[in-house]
Amino acid sequence: MSEPSTVEPGAPVPTSEAAAPAVELAGITKRFPGVVANRDVDIRVRGGTVHAVVGENGAGKSTLMKILYGAQRPDEGTIRIAGRDVELRSPADAISHGVGMVFQHFMLADNLSVLENVVLGAEGRHGIGDGARRRVLELSQAYGLGVDPDPLVADLGVGDRQRVEILKVLYRGARILILDEPTAVLVPQEVAELFANLRALKDQGLTVIFISHKLDEVITVADEITVMRRGSTVATVLPAEVTARQLAELMVGSELPSPQTRESTVTDVMALRVEGVTLRATDGRTLLADIDFAIRRGEVLGIAGVEGNGQAELVETVMGMRTPAAGRVLLGEQDVTRWSTRRRREAGIGYIPEDRHRHGLLLEAPLWENRVLGHQTTPPNARGPWINRAGARADTRRIVERYDVRTPGIDVVASALSGGNQQKLIVGREMSGEPLVLIAAHPTRGVDVGAQAAIWEYLRQARADGLAVLLVSADLDELIGLSDTIRVILRGRVIAALDPSDVSPEQLGSAMTGAGAPA
Amino acid sequence: MRRVDVGRLGLTLAAPVLAVLVAVGLTTLVLLAVGDPVSTTWGTILDAGADPRSVALTLSSATTYYLSAVAVAIGFRMGLFNIGVDGQYRLAAFVAALVAGSVSLPAPLHVGLAIVVAALVGAMWASIAGLLKVTRGVSEVISTIMLNAIATSLVAFLLREFRSPVLGANNIGTEPIPASGRVPGLPLVPGTPERVYGLVVLAVAVGIGYAVLVDRTRFGFDLRAAGGSQSAAVASGVDVRRMVVSAMLLSGGVAGLVGLPELLGASYTYSQTFPAGLGFTGIAIALLGRNHPVGIALGALLWAYLDVSANPLQILAGVSSEIVEIMKGITVLAVVVAYEVVRRHRLAREQRQVARELTAGARTPEQVPA
Amino acid sequence: MPRVTSIATALAAAVLAVAGCASESEPASTATGSEETLKVGLAYDIGGRGDQSFNDSAAAGLDRAKAEYGVETNESVASEGEPESAKEERLRLLAQNGFDPIIAVGFAYGPSLAQVAPEFPDVRFAIVDDASVMEDNVANLIFAEEEGSFLVGAAAALKSQSGQLGFIGGCTVPLIGKFEAGYAAGAKHINPDAEVDVRYLSDPPACPGFSDPAAGNTAATGMYESGADIVYHAAGGSGSGLFEAADAAGGLAIGVDSDQYLTADEAVRDAILTSMLKRVDVAVFDFITSVRDGDFTAGEVVYDLEAGGVGYSTSGGQVDDITDQLDEIAQKIIDGEIKVPTEP
Repeated sequence: MSEPSTVEPGAPVPTSEAAAPAVELAGITKRFPGVVANRDVDIRVRGGTVHAVVGENGAGKSTLMKILYGAQRPDEGTIRIAGRDVELRSPADAISHGVGMVFQHFMLADNLSVLENVVLGAEGRHGIGDGARRRVLELSQAYGLGVDPDPLVADLGVGDRQRVEILKVLYRGARILILDEPTAVLVPQEVAELFANLRALKDQGLTVIFISHKLDEVITVADEITVMRRGSTVATVLPAEVTARQLAELMVGSELPSPQTRESTVTDVMALRVEGVTLRATDGRTLLADIDFAIRRGEVLGIAGVEGNGQAELVETVMGMRTPAAGRVLLGEQDVTRWSTRRRREAGIGYIPEDRHRHGLLLEAPLWENRVLGHQTTPPNARGPWINRAGARADTRRIVERYDVRTPGIDVVASALSGGNQQKLIVGREMSGEPLVLIAAHPTRGVDVGAQAAIWEYLRQARADGLAVLLVSADLDELIGLSDTIRVILRGRVIAALDPSDVSPEQLGSAMTGAGAPA
Repeated sequence: MRRVDVGRLGLTLAAPVLAVLVAVGLTTLVLLAVGDPVSTTWGTILDAGADPRSVALTLSSATTYYLSAVAVAIGFRMGLFNIGVDGQYRLAAFVAALVAGSVSLPAPLHVGLAIVVAALVGAMWASIAGLLKVTRGVSEVISTIMLNAIATSLVAFLLREFRSPVLGANNIGTEPIPASGRVPGLPLVPGTPERVYGLVVLAVAVGIGYAVLVDRTRFGFDLRAAGGSQSAAVASGVDVRRMVVSAMLLSGGVAGLVGLPELLGASYTYSQTFPAGLGFTGIAIALLGRNHPVGIALGALLWAYLDVSANPLQILAGVSSEIVEIMKGITVLAVVVAYEVVRRHRLAREQRQVARELTAGARTPEQVPA
Repeated sequence: MPRVTSIATALAAAVLAVAGCASESEPASTATGSEETLKVGLAYDIGGRGDQSFNDSAAAGLDRAKAEYGVETNESVASEGEPESAKEERLRLLAQNGFDPIIAVGFAYGPSLAQVAPEFPDVRFAIVDDASVMEDNVANLIFAEEEGSFLVGAAAALKSQSGQLGFIGGCTVPLIGKFEAGYAAGAKHINPDAEVDVRYLSDPPACPGFSDPAAGNTAATGMYESGADIVYHAAGGSGSGLFEAADAAGGLAIGVDSDQYLTADEAVRDAILTSMLKRVDVAVFDFITSVRDGDFTAGEVVYDLEAGGVGYSTSGGQVDDITDQLDEIAQKIIDGEIKVPTEP
């Protein structure tokens, strides 16, 4: 871990020049009820560079950026921009100091043109007529963004929309751009274009703060990298001197847990079969086309793919929340295609949903009621038509203990728990009652490393006990490490079947884009 | 463990106390602003509490309000806004009056028949909105408002068709229900000849049924799950469409009972002067009681108490009866605001507890308070 | 009906005479009534003072009694959705607190008065528009709305160019049906081919159509557009919408209850042909007077054409040329030569 030349937070970066840094955050602390989001954070960003801030989900990156953007005010600490202390009370304050934010979720009006979107809310700068158009074209030209002011935003692709967002910020006079997870929504080709844009911005003297947890990208594009962990900055490093793995270890503060499964536990007993499943949207679009796979007991089948290629729909079809236009779903030897979600759950399908807040929990309900959720009809939660409160409560206590859910009690509401503990509760719940099949969608998304390792371990144990798992994940290490076999899904079709024992994350990644599927 | 419970209890009580204080304060300001006598007004209102007759009247009124609010609350618990309680109870009371007025049965059967008919009619009328929602995606807010209007016209039309010749003059009504179908009042309050509606028993039963159903049964859990998060309920296997129809049936069934205490206990006929608008009162009281069976009971009592004091306020204190309406409005508003404040406070408090738990590090689950 | 009325009137006169004798023989009980300040309690139906309808009319009678006799008054109003018991309690509270007489405005008070009146045999009650309560201490002030409506119906038919008339009712209650029936019969009496377009604005029990000028306007506009030239309303506060519509369409309107030529907005006055008078104010005032003078009589007091309780107004002068014809018809109704229906 001491291999890369790390520098103490706040200390001068070896290559820094004498000029005042574009942005300097010193001793920033921000507390929320129950959490310290940022603790004594120090970051110095030199002008005319791309500075990456990396860290796990929940490490405090977003809060820090909100502070810099004026959307949150720090409890302690100072912000210096171009060497002067500033107080940022609002995003308007921030923009007046030249700080602009490009959000991960675009904030564009679909039914307005690009020009109208850029000008919207900044009509005072160059009016709304020819002056504004001239300025937009000027900026687009100067930074090589290639934005056409006339089409409707609705007609633009994701990459174009992102450039419009960047242009919006530039139009408002930003010299320091914050980009929050800009590549999350992009395909590799678009990522390359974005990086070219960022370099152009840098060359024009602008400063870019780039938030990400995709380490390879960070190493490619950043001039300096600051690593955050648990709300604090732990190191600032130069990309030339670190590997992605070293960065990751800095992020998690320890040797990386490995999701490797050991010996195969695959049996020849069929647990879940999906045969020729085709799903159409209400408007007739094909969401899933002729999906086929089978999972045997003791087997983990991983589904890889860029998000939005049908994974969520596949999971929901298997769970009975969507009805396929064609094809069958079989649980064991039983055709369950027409079964309700409840009946499937009763028959032994556990479900860890992708979005635990929307699909996995009743946020305002106490933990023990969340234990009941999804298992309303089975012991120990139910007795005939009644809810067995004592049974459910006792079993909730068991789950809290067994799955190490950190909570003062089972009567606190779910929203009071941290994401990792919420997820552990869900995993514990779905593992209860010895399911035959577990549908796990992004089971470790947004949880801390400790919880991640624990969840992997639970999955491994269950697999050894004969559980069949359908694993959908965007974490390629997780997919490769846990799966016995991998299917790659693209635009609703399974385009490749891979053996995780001889595929690298890089190969898997390129297969997901449909580029050169190996094998 | 005890300390936590005391804190929770304190928070539970904080909201209504806060709300009542705010409501009293604001009402006093209104009284001052319009130049009404403040102390006389409050004195008159408080006097009603000491008067046995007023207490009996309050109980009777609250009986009706309670049923209405429970009907609304059943919908609220799963995120359905049944604005149609008003039309449901009027149609149900009318049909029940018609049926009960035209048969002759032994007393318990006669009353039972009226209750069953009313519940069925209310449920059927409400189910139209439920079915429209699940089959055509029509918002229940829109459809129940429309159904209210249709119920009004339908009842008015049928009333003219089935008018009883017994009631002369300018009012028309259904054939009066014979003695065997009437529910005698109960002398619950000593010191007054005024009796409380006999069907207060029905309201209590409905309240207990509601509490048990929502808190103790699988059905109630599904209902609350769908109300808490529809997406999570779907993922948990709740058939939300079926729940929508079931909830509307139940809500409408209880709504059908709203008019019965008055019908079987006082008027014995559905006439043109049958109380209207009780369904809307129910919405306010369900809000006031936070959909909780006991909370609603307290809300209904408060509402009825304010109503009962409207007459003394006008006649004895010379204060306009609108002040009572203003008071009710302020109370609902204060309750809604107070509960939101307390809810946020409670969440922050629990988050702090969790944080303490985490920073404390070592933790033995055996110590987790139950 | 007229015959029944006259019998009732004769009976009333007889009772009156007896009562008069009684009061002379027992001066103690009634003398106090006229010398001490009379405390009059008035219980309105929903809407109360300011409803531009019969509540207001009752209030006008009370105001007159206050001005002329200096009586002490107490008014209270029903709220929407209140149970029977609230109405009872209102009357009871007034009685308990020394109010005598007590006037209940509207037939909605029928059942509650039937309950309360026997509890206070020494208090004198009156109820407007209800004949169902029969107690020794209750006077039933009822009106022959159909007779007055017959006259304005005749006036409309006499004045109409097109022979097409309109009627707007506030609510589908039998009471308003009497207005409609008399109006249509009066029109047909003059012109058997006259057509009456009938619209009701709402249904009971809430009856919002008595206070919805916009609905009145819409209904009236439709009638004028389809050829009607004179429209009569029995829709309380909604009538102002009719007057506006009449003014805009160049048609004529007929008011109700009070002389609306005097109370309507000046801009629309010329559109008001006449008004059917239903003198609730007179009935209330007369009742208070009778109590003051010790002449209280229980039972029906019918305010018909003969008693001057209903009629038509002449303000504005638009019916001056036909008053002879109308008065002739009125006399025929009083004489029983014309029988006016009470149901449409």
